[in-house]
Amino acid sequence: MPKTSNGIEIEGIVTECLRNATFTVELQNGHKVLAHISGKIRKNYIKILPQDRVLVELSPYDLTRGRILYRYRT
Amino acid sequence: MNSSPFSSAFPSGTGSRPVTVTRAAPTQWLALADGQKLGRGDASRRPDGRMFVSIDTWHEDVFDRLAAAMPAELPGPLHAVVHEGDSDTRAAWERAGFTVARREREYVLPTDPRVTGLDAVRPPSGVTVVPLGRAEEGPLRLLDRAVRAEVEATVGWRTMPAEVLPRPDGVTVVDPSTYAVAELSGRYVGLVRVVSRGREARIGLVAVLAEQRRHGIARALLADVLRALHHSGVAAARAEVDESNSGAVRLFEGLGGQGRDTILELVRP
Repeated sequence: MPKTSNGIEIEGIVTECLRNATFTVELQNGHKVLAHISGKIRKNYIKILPQDRVLVELSPYDLTRGRILYRYRT
Repeated sequence: MNSSPFSSAFPSGTGSRPVTVTRAAPTQWLALADGQKLGRGDASRRPDGRMFVSIDTWHEDVFDRLAAAMPAELPGPLHAVVHEGDSDTRAAWERAGFTVARREREYVLPTDPRVTGLDAVRPPSGVTVVPLGRAEEGPLRLLDRAVRAEVEATVGWRTMPAEVLPRPDGVTVVDPSTYAVAELSGRYVGLVRVVSRGREARIGLVAVLAEQRRHGIARALLADVLRALHHSGVAAARAEVDESNSGAVRLFEGLGGQGRDTILELVRP
């Protein structure tokens, strides 16, 4: 089964909660991206707060945008 | 960072690449092209029996393919969740036959008593508020079970967010230190669950036993919790409320809560 996705996955820390489940995330490499939550996170009503450590999939079309795939337990 | 709002949930189509959708696991679908994963659909059943589905992809046409494939292989009705402001994703679900069944509004509550006007609010006669983190675990679990039994016997879980439901292992009170409770005659009769991080907090659950409602217990609990959050440097707390629950809406708006986002629960028969 192919496991490759067309997005780059990278960890980061949520720094700001914006409207419509959109967040500013500071990535491990110091860059900041605007990320929305994945459908899977939304479906499971998982809430994201500032300072949460998350896994982000960067958009292959705009590396300043991403999708939060996973929230790590604190 | 590009700080402008997302212009589209789906920045690109897949062009002429042939996309195959396969059911990779009983609850997982993958959309593949040239050995690359272009999208993924997931399904999960909530403890109340309802089946929820989600789709993650950057491509609108892949979303439509997954949204067509999953209902064909799953028993209906199916449910999905989307933010009202995410018009692209909402439109994609609607193309697949989903319609809005429930609306949940997120409120942001200030914690400063000078803003909320809650400084003077005290519990009703005979009621004591046990502050955050000081509730006894045994009586707290008893109250939690009683609250859940009342929900099951009345409105049912369909009006509640998923987080109120038990976990698969049956655990409902995960961290007793996140609760404040109201005590009456040695018995816990109401609770609030709050998690705080930095300068923000989230109110996950507010509940008062049916026989003790309409006496101001929930308001007193929230007043106490918001005061405590303010003293510990938390500026605001968020909470979600079912928009059809007029009592809860009145409570949060009466505390100075400002409506922000609305989450839509969609259903496909």
